[in-house]
Amino acid sequence: MSEGSELVVDAKGVGKVFGVGDVTVEALRGIDLAIGPGEFISLIGPSGCGKSTLLRLVGDLLTPTSGSVRINGKTPHQARRDRDYGMVFQKATLLDWRTVRRNVELPLEIMHIDQRRSRAAEMLDLVQLSEFAERYPWQLSGGMQQRVAIARALAFRPSLLLMDEPFGALDEMTREAMQQEVLRIYGETGITVVFVTHSIPEAVFLSSRVVVMSPRPGRISAVVPVDLPRPRTEDTRESQGYFDIITQVREALRSQERWVR
Amino acid sequence: MRHATERDQPAAAAVVPAVAAANAAAADRWRRILSVVGVTLGLAVVWEVYKLVGNALDLTTPVRPDNVTMPHVWDVVGELFRPVRRGGDLLILDLTGRALWTLREALVGFAAGAILGFGLGVAFTRSRLAEQAFLPYVVASQTVPILAIAPMVVVWGGRLDIPQWLAVSIISTYLTFFPVVINTLRGLRSPDSTAMELMRSYAATPREVLWKLQVPSALPYIFTALKVSATASVIGALIGELPAGFQTGLGRALLTFSQQFAVRSAKLYATVLVSALVGILFVSVVTLVEHRVIHHSRPTEVDALAAA
Repeated sequence: MSEGSELVVDAKGVGKVFGVGDVTVEALRGIDLAIGPGEFISLIGPSGCGKSTLLRLVGDLLTPTSGSVRINGKTPHQARRDRDYGMVFQKATLLDWRTVRRNVELPLEIMHIDQRRSRAAEMLDLVQLSEFAERYPWQLSGGMQQRVAIARALAFRPSLLLMDEPFGALDEMTREAMQQEVLRIYGETGITVVFVTHSIPEAVFLSSRVVVMSPRPGRISAVVPVDLPRPRTEDTRESQGYFDIITQVREALRSQERWVR
Repeated sequence: MRHATERDQPAAAAVVPAVAAANAAAADRWRRILSVVGVTLGLAVVWEVYKLVGNALDLTTPVRPDNVTMPHVWDVVGELFRPVRRGGDLLILDLTGRALWTLREALVGFAAGAILGFGLGVAFTRSRLAEQAFLPYVVASQTVPILAIAPMVVVWGGRLDIPQWLAVSIISTYLTFFPVVINTLRGLRSPDSTAMELMRSYAATPREVLWKLQVPSALPYIFTALKVSATASVIGALIGELPAGFQTGLGRALLTFSQQFAVRSAKLYATVLVSALVGILFVSVVTLVEHRVIHHSRPTEVDALAAA
Protein backbone atom coordinates (compact mmCIF):
# COMPACT_ATOMS: atom_id res chain seq x y z
CA MET A 1 0.00 0.00 0.00
CA SER A 2 2.22 2.76 -1.23
CA GLU A 3 0.11 4.92 -3.54
CA GLY A 4 -3.40 6.36 -3.18
CA SER A 5 -4.58 4.41 -6.20
CA GLU A 6 -4.49 1.22 -4.20
CA LEU A 7 -6.99 2.56 -1.72
CA VAL A 8 -10.54 1.26 -2.00
CA VAL A 9 -12.01 4.49 -0.67
CA ASP A 10 -10.11 7.78 -0.74
CA ALA A 11 -12.01 10.88 0.42
CA LYS A 12 -10.24 14.24 0.52
CA GLY A 13 -11.72 17.41 1.98
CA VAL A 14 -15.26 16.22 1.33
CA GLY A 15 -18.13 18.56 2.20
CA LYS A 16 -21.84 18.25 1.58
CA VAL A 17 -24.44 20.99 1.83
CA PHE A 18 -28.14 20.20 1.44
CA GLY A 19 -30.68 22.70 0.23
CA VAL A 20 -30.44 25.91 -1.76
CA GLY A 21 -30.52 29.65 -1.02
CA ASP A 22 -31.09 30.57 2.61
CA VAL A 23 -32.28 27.18 3.80
CA THR A 24 -29.12 25.13 3.70
CA VAL A 25 -27.80 22.50 6.06
CA GLU A 26 -24.14 21.69 6.13
CA ALA A 27 -24.15 17.92 6.55
CA LEU A 28 -20.42 17.26 6.18
CA ARG A 29 -17.28 19.38 6.33
CA GLY A 30 -13.66 18.55 5.56
CA ILE A 31 -13.88 14.76 5.59
CA ASP A 32 -10.56 12.99 4.95
CA LEU A 33 -10.79 9.22 4.97
CA ALA A 34 -8.60 6.57 3.37
CA ILE A 35 -9.68 2.94 3.43
CA GLY A 36 -7.37 0.18 2.24
CA PRO A 37 -8.37 -3.18 0.78
CA GLY A 38 -9.71 -5.67 3.32
CA GLU A 39 -10.37 -3.09 6.00
CA PHE A 40 -13.55 -3.11 8.05
CA ILE A 41 -14.42 0.50 8.85
CA SER A 42 -17.30 1.61 11.06
CA LEU A 43 -18.72 5.11 10.96
CA ILE A 44 -20.25 5.96 14.33
CA GLY A 45 -21.79 9.09 15.78
CA PRO A 46 -25.03 10.65 17.01
CA SER A 47 -27.87 11.18 14.57
CA GLY A 48 -27.25 14.15 12.32
CA CYS A 49 -23.49 13.59 12.21
CA GLY A 50 -23.65 12.78 8.51
CA LYS A 51 -22.49 9.16 8.68
CA SER A 52 -25.21 7.92 6.33
CA THR A 53 -24.57 10.90 4.07
CA LEU A 54 -20.89 9.99 3.87
CA LEU A 55 -21.81 6.42 2.96
CA ARG A 56 -24.10 7.70 0.20
CA LEU A 57 -21.34 9.94 -1.16
CA VAL A 58 -19.10 6.88 -1.40
CA GLY A 59 -21.88 4.99 -3.19
CA ASP A 60 -22.67 7.87 -5.59
CA LEU A 61 -26.21 8.03 -4.27
CA LEU A 62 -25.35 11.65 -3.41
CA THR A 63 -22.79 14.04 -4.92
CA PRO A 64 -20.33 15.96 -2.72
CA THR A 65 -20.53 19.77 -2.69
CA SER A 66 -16.77 20.07 -2.25
CA GLY A 67 -13.70 17.84 -2.14
CA SER A 68 -13.22 14.56 -3.95
CA VAL A 69 -14.07 10.90 -3.41
CA ARG A 70 -12.28 8.10 -5.28
CA ILE A 71 -13.35 4.47 -5.24
CA ASN A 72 -10.68 2.03 -6.45
CA GLY A 73 -9.03 5.07 -8.07
CA LYS A 74 -12.23 5.96 -9.98
CA THR A 75 -14.99 8.50 -9.50
CA PRO A 76 -17.90 7.18 -7.43
CA HIS A 77 -20.05 7.49 -10.55
CA GLN A 78 -17.74 5.25 -12.55
CA ALA A 79 -17.44 2.86 -9.61
CA ARG A 80 -21.22 2.60 -9.43
CA ARG A 81 -21.42 1.97 -13.20
CA ASP A 82 -18.71 -0.70 -12.79
CA ARG A 83 -20.71 -2.25 -9.95
CA ASP A 84 -17.78 -1.96 -7.55
CA TYR A 85 -19.90 -1.97 -4.42
CA GLY A 86 -22.87 -3.73 -2.90
CA MET A 87 -25.22 -1.95 -0.55
CA VAL A 88 -27.24 -3.09 2.47
CA PHE A 89 -29.75 -0.76 4.13
CA GLN A 90 -31.43 -0.72 7.53
CA LYS A 91 -34.57 -2.01 5.83
CA ALA A 92 -33.90 -5.27 4.00
CA THR A 93 -35.83 -3.81 1.02
CA LEU A 94 -36.57 -7.20 -0.51
CA LEU A 95 -39.08 -7.23 -3.34
CA ASP A 96 -42.27 -8.84 -1.98
CA TRP A 97 -43.24 -10.46 -5.26
CA ARG A 98 -39.95 -12.30 -5.71
CA THR A 99 -38.86 -15.42 -3.88
CA VAL A 100 -35.70 -15.25 -1.80
CA ARG A 101 -33.72 -16.77 -4.67
CA ARG A 102 -35.09 -14.36 -7.23
CA ASN A 103 -34.36 -11.44 -4.92
CA VAL A 104 -30.72 -12.49 -4.86
CA GLU A 105 -30.82 -12.82 -8.65
CA LEU A 106 -32.16 -9.28 -9.10
CA PRO A 107 -28.78 -7.50 -9.40
CA LEU A 108 -27.49 -10.31 -11.61
CA GLU A 109 -30.42 -9.80 -14.00
CA ILE A 110 -29.81 -6.07 -14.17
CA MET A 111 -26.09 -6.58 -14.70
CA HIS A 112 -26.65 -9.30 -17.31
CA ILE A 113 -24.53 -11.78 -15.38
CA ASP A 114 -25.01 -15.42 -16.39
CA GLN A 115 -25.46 -18.50 -14.26
CA ARG A 116 -27.77 -16.57 -11.99
CA ARG A 117 -29.25 -19.65 -10.43
CA SER A 118 -25.96 -21.14 -9.33
CA ARG A 119 -24.65 -17.77 -8.17
CA ALA A 120 -27.77 -17.21 -6.09
CA ALA A 121 -27.49 -20.73 -4.66
CA GLU A 122 -23.86 -20.05 -3.74
CA MET A 123 -24.77 -16.78 -2.01
CA LEU A 124 -27.68 -18.30 -0.11
CA ASP A 125 -25.30 -21.01 0.99
CA LEU A 126 -22.92 -18.30 2.22
CA VAL A 127 -25.62 -16.76 4.41
CA GLN A 128 -26.93 -20.23 5.31
CA LEU A 129 -30.41 -19.77 3.91
CA SER A 130 -30.32 -22.40 1.14
CA GLU A 131 -33.47 -24.15 2.34
CA PHE A 132 -35.45 -20.91 2.17
CA ALA A 133 -34.66 -20.17 -1.48
CA GLU A 134 -38.24 -20.60 -2.69
CA ARG A 135 -39.90 -18.76 0.18
CA TYR A 136 -41.28 -15.26 -0.08
CA PRO A 137 -39.72 -12.48 2.03
CA TRP A 138 -42.73 -12.15 4.35
CA GLN A 139 -42.27 -15.76 5.41
CA LEU A 140 -38.85 -14.92 6.88
CA SER A 141 -37.86 -13.31 10.18
CA GLY A 142 -36.24 -9.87 10.21
CA GLY A 143 -32.75 -11.31 10.68
CA MET A 144 -33.23 -13.77 7.83
CA GLN A 145 -34.47 -11.00 5.56
CA GLN A 146 -31.37 -8.97 6.31
CA ARG A 147 -29.17 -12.00 5.49
CA VAL A 148 -30.93 -12.24 2.13
CA ALA A 149 -30.13 -8.56 1.61
CA ILE A 150 -26.47 -9.31 2.32
CA ALA A 151 -26.50 -12.26 -0.10
CA ARG A 152 -28.03 -9.98 -2.71
CA ALA A 153 -25.37 -7.30 -2.14
CA LEU A 154 -22.57 -9.85 -2.53
CA ALA A 155 -24.06 -11.76 -5.48
CA PHE A 156 -22.18 -9.79 -8.13
CA ARG A 157 -18.89 -10.03 -6.20
CA PRO A 158 -18.26 -6.33 -5.49
CA SER A 159 -14.95 -5.34 -3.92
CA LEU A 160 -16.67 -3.05 -1.42
CA LEU A 161 -19.67 -3.59 0.83
CA LEU A 162 -21.53 -0.51 2.11
CA MET A 163 -23.83 -1.14 5.08
CA ASP A 164 -26.15 1.54 6.45
CA GLU A 165 -27.22 0.58 9.99
CA PRO A 166 -28.05 -2.90 8.69
CA PHE A 167 -28.96 -4.33 12.10
CA GLY A 168 -30.59 -1.21 13.52
CA ALA A 169 -34.07 -2.72 13.35
CA LEU A 170 -33.15 -6.10 14.86
CA ASP A 171 -33.44 -7.24 18.47
CA GLU A 172 -30.23 -7.57 20.52
CA MET A 173 -29.94 -11.38 20.27
CA THR A 174 -30.48 -11.49 16.52
CA ARG A 175 -28.17 -8.55 16.19
CA GLU A 176 -25.25 -10.34 17.86
CA ALA A 177 -25.83 -13.44 15.73
CA MET A 178 -25.83 -11.21 12.63
CA GLN A 179 -22.54 -9.60 13.68
CA GLN A 180 -20.97 -13.06 13.86
CA GLU A 181 -22.45 -13.79 10.45
CA VAL A 182 -20.99 -10.64 8.91
CA LEU A 183 -17.56 -11.36 10.39
CA ARG A 184 -17.66 -14.88 9.01
CA ILE A 185 -18.58 -13.60 5.53
CA TYR A 186 -15.95 -10.87 5.83
CA GLY A 187 -13.37 -13.52 6.73
CA GLU A 188 -14.42 -15.80 3.87
CA THR A 189 -14.57 -13.16 1.14
CA GLY A 190 -11.85 -10.69 2.15
CA ILE A 191 -14.15 -7.86 1.09
CA THR A 192 -13.72 -4.25 2.22
CA VAL A 193 -16.58 -3.05 4.41
CA VAL A 194 -17.85 0.41 5.38
CA PHE A 195 -20.40 -0.01 8.14
CA VAL A 196 -22.60 2.75 9.57
CA THR A 197 -23.90 2.15 13.09
CA HIS A 198 -24.87 3.95 16.26
CA SER A 199 -23.91 1.05 18.49
CA ILE A 200 -20.48 1.36 20.10
CA PRO A 201 -20.06 -2.36 20.97
CA GLU A 202 -21.12 -3.33 17.46
CA ALA A 203 -18.60 -0.97 15.87
CA VAL A 204 -15.77 -2.21 18.07
CA PHE A 205 -16.61 -5.88 17.69
CA LEU A 206 -16.66 -5.75 13.89
CA SER A 207 -14.13 -3.16 12.82
CA SER A 208 -10.47 -2.77 12.12
CA ARG A 209 -10.95 0.98 12.66
CA VAL A 210 -13.80 2.97 14.18
CA VAL A 211 -14.35 6.42 12.68
CA VAL A 212 -16.04 8.66 15.25
CA MET A 213 -18.08 11.52 13.80
CA SER A 214 -19.65 14.59 15.37
CA PRO A 215 -22.59 16.67 14.22
CA ARG A 216 -23.32 20.23 12.99
CA PRO A 217 -21.51 20.15 10.67
CA GLY A 218 -20.68 16.45 10.36
CA ARG A 219 -16.95 15.81 10.62
CA ILE A 220 -14.53 13.15 11.78
CA SER A 221 -13.57 13.82 15.39
CA ALA A 222 -11.47 10.72 16.09
CA VAL A 223 -10.31 7.47 14.51
CA VAL A 224 -9.91 4.57 16.94
CA PRO A 225 -7.92 1.56 15.70
CA VAL A 226 -9.22 -1.81 16.92
CA ASP A 227 -6.31 -4.21 17.23
CA LEU A 228 -8.28 -7.12 18.65
CA PRO A 229 -7.18 -10.44 17.11
CA ARG A 230 -9.33 -12.16 14.48
CA PRO A 231 -11.30 -14.35 14.26
CA ARG A 232 -13.40 -12.60 16.87
CA THR A 233 -15.73 -14.80 18.85
CA GLU A 234 -18.16 -14.56 21.72
CA ASP A 235 -15.06 -14.61 23.97
CA THR A 236 -13.90 -11.37 22.36
CA ARG A 237 -17.02 -9.71 23.72
CA GLU A 238 -15.84 -10.54 27.24
CA SER A 239 -12.16 -9.63 26.82
CA GLN A 240 -10.50 -6.69 28.55
CA GLY A 241 -9.11 -5.32 25.28
CA TYR A 242 -12.65 -5.12 23.87
CA PHE A 243 -13.90 -3.15 26.88
CA ASP A 244 -10.89 -0.82 26.72
CA ILE A 245 -11.57 0.10 23.12
CA ILE A 246 -15.29 0.54 23.80
CA THR A 247 -14.28 3.00 26.51
CA GLN A 248 -11.99 4.85 24.10
CA VAL A 249 -14.79 5.20 21.53
CA ARG A 250 -17.26 6.24 24.19
CA GLU A 251 -14.90 8.92 25.44
CA ALA A 252 -14.29 10.16 21.91
CA LEU A 253 -18.05 10.49 21.48
CA ARG A 254 -18.48 12.13 24.88
CA SER A 255 -15.73 14.72 24.41
CA GLN A 256 -17.55 16.07 21.35
CA GLU A 257 -20.81 16.07 23.26
CA ARG A 258 -19.34 18.63 25.66
CA TRP A 259 -18.63 20.97 22.78
CA VAL A 260 -22.18 20.78 21.58
CA ARG A 261 -23.65 21.84 24.90
CA MET B 1 -25.55 -24.66 12.09
CA ARG B 2 -25.33 -23.19 15.52
CA HIS B 3 -28.49 -21.13 15.36
CA ALA B 4 -30.48 -23.80 13.56
CA THR B 5 -33.38 -23.88 16.01
CA GLU B 6 -33.81 -20.13 16.22
CA ARG B 7 -33.61 -19.88 12.46
CA ASP B 8 -36.14 -22.57 11.63
CA GLN B 9 -38.74 -21.29 14.00
CA PRO B 10 -40.23 -18.42 12.03
CA ALA B 11 -40.39 -20.56 8.90
CA ALA B 12 -42.14 -23.42 10.68
CA ALA B 13 -44.54 -20.92 12.15
CA ALA B 14 -45.27 -19.74 8.62
CA VAL B 15 -46.05 -23.26 7.33
CA VAL B 16 -48.81 -24.00 9.84
CA PRO B 17 -50.89 -20.94 8.88
CA ALA B 18 -50.37 -21.91 5.22
CA VAL B 19 -52.14 -25.26 5.70
CA ALA B 20 -54.79 -23.68 7.86
CA ALA B 21 -55.21 -21.01 5.21
CA ALA B 22 -55.90 -23.63 2.52
CA ASN B 23 -58.68 -25.18 4.61
CA ALA B 24 -59.98 -21.76 5.49
CA ALA B 25 -60.02 -20.83 1.80
CA ALA B 26 -62.32 -23.74 0.90
CA ALA B 27 -64.67 -22.96 3.76
CA ASP B 28 -64.45 -19.31 2.82
CA ARG B 29 -65.53 -20.01 -0.75
CA TRP B 30 -68.72 -21.77 0.42
CA ARG B 31 -69.43 -19.04 2.90
CA ARG B 32 -69.10 -16.45 0.16
CA ILE B 33 -71.45 -18.30 -2.21
CA LEU B 34 -73.99 -18.77 0.59
CA SER B 35 -73.77 -15.13 1.59
CA VAL B 36 -74.41 -13.95 -1.99
CA VAL B 37 -77.42 -16.27 -2.33
CA GLY B 38 -78.62 -15.26 1.13
CA VAL B 39 -78.43 -11.54 0.43
CA THR B 40 -80.19 -11.98 -2.93
CA LEU B 41 -83.04 -13.91 -1.31
CA GLY B 42 -83.12 -11.39 1.52
CA LEU B 43 -83.53 -8.49 -0.89
CA ALA B 44 -86.33 -10.32 -2.72
CA VAL B 45 -88.09 -10.88 0.61
CA VAL B 46 -87.72 -7.20 1.58
CA TRP B 47 -89.15 -6.22 -1.82
CA GLU B 48 -92.19 -8.46 -1.44
CA VAL B 49 -92.79 -7.57 2.22
CA TYR B 50 -92.74 -3.88 1.29
CA LYS B 51 -95.33 -4.56 -1.41
CA LEU B 52 -97.50 -6.49 1.02
CA VAL B 53 -97.32 -3.94 3.83
CA GLY B 54 -97.49 -0.99 1.41
CA ASN B 55 -100.64 -2.28 -0.23
CA ALA B 56 -102.30 -2.93 3.13
CA LEU B 57 -101.47 0.58 4.40
CA ASP B 58 -102.06 2.31 1.04
CA LEU B 59 -98.53 3.75 0.99
CA THR B 60 -97.59 6.14 -1.81
CA THR B 61 -94.15 7.17 -0.56
CA PRO B 62 -91.30 6.51 -1.02
CA VAL B 63 -92.44 4.13 -3.78
CA ARG B 64 -95.91 3.01 -4.78
CA PRO B 65 -96.12 -0.73 -4.21
CA ASP B 66 -98.37 -1.38 -7.23
CA ASN B 67 -97.48 -4.04 -9.79
CA VAL B 68 -96.27 -1.55 -12.40
CA THR B 69 -93.88 0.43 -10.21
CA MET B 70 -92.77 -2.65 -8.27
CA PRO B 71 -93.61 -5.85 -10.14
CA HIS B 72 -93.44 -9.10 -8.19
CA VAL B 73 -90.01 -10.71 -8.09
CA TRP B 74 -91.44 -13.83 -9.76
CA ASP B 75 -92.98 -11.68 -12.50
CA VAL B 76 -89.56 -10.13 -13.23
CA VAL B 77 -87.91 -13.54 -13.36
CA GLY B 78 -90.87 -14.98 -15.28
CA GLU B 79 -90.61 -12.19 -17.84
CA LEU B 80 -87.17 -13.50 -18.80
CA PHE B 81 -88.82 -16.67 -20.06
CA ARG B 82 -91.55 -15.02 -22.16
CA PRO B 83 -91.14 -14.00 -25.80
CA VAL B 84 -89.91 -10.43 -26.31
CA ARG B 85 -92.74 -9.80 -28.78
CA ARG B 86 -95.32 -12.03 -30.31
CA GLY B 87 -93.51 -14.84 -32.10
CA GLY B 88 -90.10 -13.53 -31.00
CA ASP B 89 -87.27 -15.07 -28.97
CA LEU B 90 -87.51 -15.55 -25.23
CA LEU B 91 -86.46 -12.35 -23.46
CA ILE B 92 -83.54 -14.11 -21.81
CA LEU B 93 -82.16 -15.26 -25.17
CA ASP B 94 -82.64 -11.83 -26.66
CA LEU B 95 -80.92 -10.21 -23.69
CA THR B 96 -78.06 -12.70 -23.74
CA GLY B 97 -77.34 -11.82 -27.36
CA ARG B 98 -77.50 -8.13 -26.52
CA ALA B 99 -75.34 -8.61 -23.42
CA LEU B 100 -72.64 -10.28 -25.52
CA TRP B 101 -72.76 -7.39 -27.98
CA THR B 102 -72.48 -4.81 -25.21
CA LEU B 103 -69.80 -6.83 -23.47
CA ARG B 104 -67.70 -6.76 -26.65
CA GLU B 105 -67.97 -2.98 -26.83
CA ALA B 106 -67.13 -2.71 -23.16
CA LEU B 107 -64.20 -5.14 -23.42
CA VAL B 108 -62.60 -3.31 -26.32
CA GLY B 109 -63.17 0.02 -24.57
CA PHE B 110 -61.81 -1.38 -21.31
CA ALA B 111 -58.67 -2.78 -22.95
CA ALA B 112 -58.00 0.47 -24.80
CA GLY B 113 -58.67 2.48 -21.64
CA ALA B 114 -56.37 0.28 -19.55
CA ILE B 115 -53.54 0.60 -22.07
CA LEU B 116 -54.06 4.34 -22.48
CA GLY B 117 -54.30 4.85 -18.71
CA PHE B 118 -51.19 2.80 -18.01
CA GLY B 119 -49.27 4.59 -20.76
CA LEU B 120 -50.23 8.02 -19.46
CA GLY B 121 -49.36 6.95 -15.91
CA VAL B 122 -45.89 5.85 -17.01
CA ALA B 123 -45.39 9.02 -19.06
CA PHE B 124 -46.40 11.18 -16.10
CA THR B 125 -43.99 9.43 -13.71
CA ARG B 126 -41.20 9.89 -16.24
CA SER B 127 -41.83 13.58 -16.70
CA ARG B 128 -43.12 15.99 -14.08
CA LEU B 129 -43.58 18.51 -16.86
CA ALA B 130 -45.88 16.18 -18.79
CA GLU B 131 -47.83 15.53 -15.61
CA GLN B 132 -48.23 19.21 -14.81
CA ALA B 133 -49.18 20.02 -18.39
CA PHE B 134 -51.63 17.21 -19.08
CA LEU B 135 -53.03 15.92 -15.79
CA PRO B 136 -55.45 18.88 -15.44
CA TYR B 137 -56.95 17.95 -18.81
CA VAL B 138 -57.25 14.33 -17.80
CA VAL B 139 -59.16 15.42 -14.70
CA ALA B 140 -61.24 17.94 -16.65
CA SER B 141 -62.20 15.26 -19.16
CA GLN B 142 -63.99 13.40 -16.39
CA THR B 143 -66.12 16.35 -15.34
CA VAL B 144 -67.70 16.65 -18.78
CA PRO B 145 -70.91 14.57 -18.72
CA ILE B 146 -70.59 11.45 -20.80
CA LEU B 147 -74.10 12.07 -22.14
CA ALA B 148 -72.80 15.22 -23.84
CA ILE B 149 -69.83 13.50 -25.40
CA ALA B 150 -71.43 10.25 -26.53
CA PRO B 151 -73.44 11.74 -29.47
CA MET B 152 -70.38 13.69 -30.67
CA VAL B 153 -68.24 10.57 -30.75
CA VAL B 154 -70.94 8.65 -32.60
CA VAL B 155 -71.30 11.42 -35.18
CA TRP B 156 -67.55 11.77 -35.68
CA GLY B 157 -67.23 8.01 -35.88
CA GLY B 158 -69.89 7.98 -38.60
CA ARG B 159 -67.99 10.59 -40.64
CA LEU B 160 -64.80 8.54 -40.30
CA ASP B 161 -66.63 5.39 -41.40
CA ILE B 162 -65.66 3.37 -38.35
CA PRO B 163 -68.20 0.75 -37.23
CA GLN B 164 -70.67 2.12 -34.72
CA TRP B 165 -69.89 -0.44 -32.06
CA LEU B 166 -66.30 0.81 -32.15
CA ALA B 167 -67.53 4.37 -31.59
CA VAL B 168 -69.35 3.03 -28.53
CA SER B 169 -66.09 1.41 -27.39
CA ILE B 170 -64.39 4.79 -27.62
CA ILE B 171 -67.00 6.24 -25.27
CA SER B 172 -66.35 3.32 -22.97
CA THR B 173 -62.61 4.03 -23.13
CA TYR B 174 -63.30 7.61 -22.16
CA LEU B 175 -64.86 6.43 -18.89
CA THR B 176 -62.28 3.71 -18.32
CA PHE B 177 -58.87 5.29 -18.59
CA PHE B 178 -59.13 7.83 -15.79
CA PRO B 179 -58.99 5.56 -12.72
CA VAL B 180 -56.15 3.65 -14.37
CA VAL B 181 -54.07 6.82 -14.90
CA ILE B 182 -54.52 7.99 -11.33
CA ASN B 183 -53.81 4.63 -9.73
CA THR B 184 -50.92 3.76 -12.04
CA LEU B 185 -49.33 7.07 -11.14
CA ARG B 186 -49.81 6.40 -7.44
CA GLY B 187 -48.58 2.82 -7.76
CA LEU B 188 -45.46 3.64 -9.77
CA ARG B 189 -44.49 6.12 -7.07
CA SER B 190 -45.17 3.66 -4.24
CA PRO B 191 -41.70 2.04 -3.92
CA ASP B 192 -39.89 3.65 -1.00
CA SER B 193 -36.73 5.69 -1.43
CA THR B 194 -34.51 2.83 -0.24
CA ALA B 195 -35.75 0.58 -3.04
CA MET B 196 -35.01 3.35 -5.54
CA GLU B 197 -31.52 3.80 -4.04
CA LEU B 198 -30.98 0.06 -4.32
CA MET B 199 -31.80 0.13 -8.04
CA ARG B 200 -29.55 3.16 -8.45
CA SER B 201 -26.70 1.34 -6.71
CA TYR B 202 -27.04 -1.37 -9.39
CA ALA B 203 -26.79 1.36 -12.06
CA ALA B 204 -30.15 0.11 -13.36
CA THR B 205 -31.59 1.90 -16.41
CA PRO B 206 -34.92 3.75 -16.05
CA ARG B 207 -36.54 0.96 -18.04
CA GLU B 208 -35.23 -1.69 -15.63
CA VAL B 209 -36.38 0.34 -12.64
CA LEU B 210 -39.81 0.61 -14.29
CA TRP B 211 -40.30 -3.07 -15.09
CA LYS B 212 -38.45 -4.69 -12.21
CA LEU B 213 -39.49 -2.39 -9.38
CA GLN B 214 -42.17 0.17 -10.19
CA VAL B 215 -44.64 -1.86 -12.24
CA PRO B 216 -44.70 -4.86 -9.90
CA SER B 217 -45.16 -2.45 -6.96
CA ALA B 218 -47.98 -0.73 -8.83
CA LEU B 219 -49.94 -3.89 -9.69
CA PRO B 220 -52.20 -3.89 -6.61
CA TYR B 221 -53.08 -0.25 -7.33
CA ILE B 222 -53.63 -0.94 -11.01
CA PHE B 223 -55.94 -3.87 -10.33
CA THR B 224 -58.02 -1.77 -7.97
CA ALA B 225 -58.41 0.73 -10.81
CA LEU B 226 -59.23 -2.02 -13.30
CA LYS B 227 -62.13 -3.20 -11.14
CA VAL B 228 -63.55 0.32 -11.08
CA SER B 229 -62.91 0.59 -14.81
CA ALA B 230 -64.59 -2.74 -15.56
CA THR B 231 -67.94 -1.47 -14.30
CA ALA B 232 -67.35 1.96 -15.82
CA SER B 233 -66.68 0.38 -19.21
CA VAL B 234 -70.06 -1.39 -19.13
CA ILE B 235 -71.80 1.86 -18.22
CA GLY B 236 -69.89 3.64 -20.99
CA ALA B 237 -71.02 1.03 -23.51
CA LEU B 238 -74.67 1.19 -22.34
CA ILE B 239 -74.76 4.97 -22.58
CA GLY B 240 -72.78 5.03 -25.82
CA GLU B 241 -75.40 2.81 -27.46
CA LEU B 242 -78.20 5.30 -26.88
CA PRO B 243 -77.25 7.83 -29.58
CA ALA B 244 -75.99 5.05 -31.87
CA GLY B 245 -78.45 3.85 -34.47
CA PHE B 246 -78.16 0.10 -34.07
CA GLN B 247 -80.73 -2.01 -32.26
CA THR B 248 -78.44 -4.74 -30.98
CA GLY B 249 -77.13 -3.73 -27.56
CA LEU B 250 -78.40 -3.81 -23.97
CA GLY B 251 -78.44 -0.01 -23.88
CA ARG B 252 -80.97 0.09 -26.69
CA ALA B 253 -83.10 -2.51 -24.86
CA LEU B 254 -83.02 -0.37 -21.71
CA LEU B 255 -84.21 2.63 -23.70
CA THR B 256 -86.96 0.72 -25.52
CA PHE B 257 -88.28 -1.03 -22.43
CA SER B 258 -88.24 2.14 -20.36
CA GLN B 259 -90.60 3.61 -22.95
CA GLN B 260 -92.86 0.58 -22.38
CA PHE B 261 -92.57 0.89 -18.61
CA ALA B 262 -96.23 1.71 -17.99
CA VAL B 263 -97.25 -1.41 -19.93
CA ARG B 264 -94.69 -4.04 -18.97
CA SER B 265 -92.35 -2.75 -16.28
CA ALA B 266 -91.08 -6.26 -15.53
CA LYS B 267 -89.25 -6.22 -18.88
CA LEU B 268 -87.20 -3.20 -17.83
CA TYR B 269 -86.45 -4.69 -14.43
CA ALA B 270 -85.33 -7.93 -16.07
CA THR B 271 -83.05 -5.99 -18.41
CA VAL B 272 -81.58 -4.04 -15.50
CA LEU B 273 -80.84 -7.33 -13.76
CA VAL B 274 -79.04 -8.67 -16.82
CA SER B 275 -77.04 -5.43 -17.18
CA ALA B 276 -75.94 -5.72 -13.55
CA LEU B 277 -74.93 -9.33 -14.11
CA VAL B 278 -72.73 -8.26 -17.04
CA GLY B 279 -70.93 -5.79 -14.75
CA ILE B 280 -70.53 -8.37 -11.99
CA LEU B 281 -69.20 -10.93 -14.46
CA PHE B 282 -66.66 -8.45 -15.76
CA VAL B 283 -65.40 -7.45 -12.31
CA SER B 284 -65.19 -11.13 -11.30
CA VAL B 285 -62.98 -11.88 -14.29
CA VAL B 286 -60.66 -8.98 -13.37
CA THR B 287 -60.51 -10.22 -9.78
CA LEU B 288 -59.69 -13.71 -10.98
CA VAL B 289 -56.83 -12.39 -13.11
CA GLU B 290 -55.64 -10.32 -10.15
CA HIS B 291 -55.38 -13.41 -7.96
CA ARG B 292 -53.43 -15.17 -10.71
CA VAL B 293 -50.99 -12.30 -11.14
CA ILE B 294 -50.52 -11.29 -7.51
CA HIS B 295 -50.03 -14.56 -5.68
CA HIS B 296 -47.11 -13.64 -3.48
CA SER B 297 -48.87 -11.35 -1.08
CA ARG B 298 -48.91 -12.03 2.60
CA PRO B 299 -52.21 -12.64 4.36
CA THR B 300 -53.11 -9.26 5.82
CA GLU B 301 -53.92 -8.77 9.46
CA VAL B 302 -57.52 -8.12 8.48
CA ASP B 303 -57.68 -11.58 6.86
CA ALA B 304 -56.12 -13.19 9.90
CA LEU B 305 -58.60 -11.52 12.23
CA ALA B 306 -61.48 -12.48 9.98
CA ALA B 307 -60.35 -16.13 9.98
CA ALA B 308 -60.01 -16.22 13.77
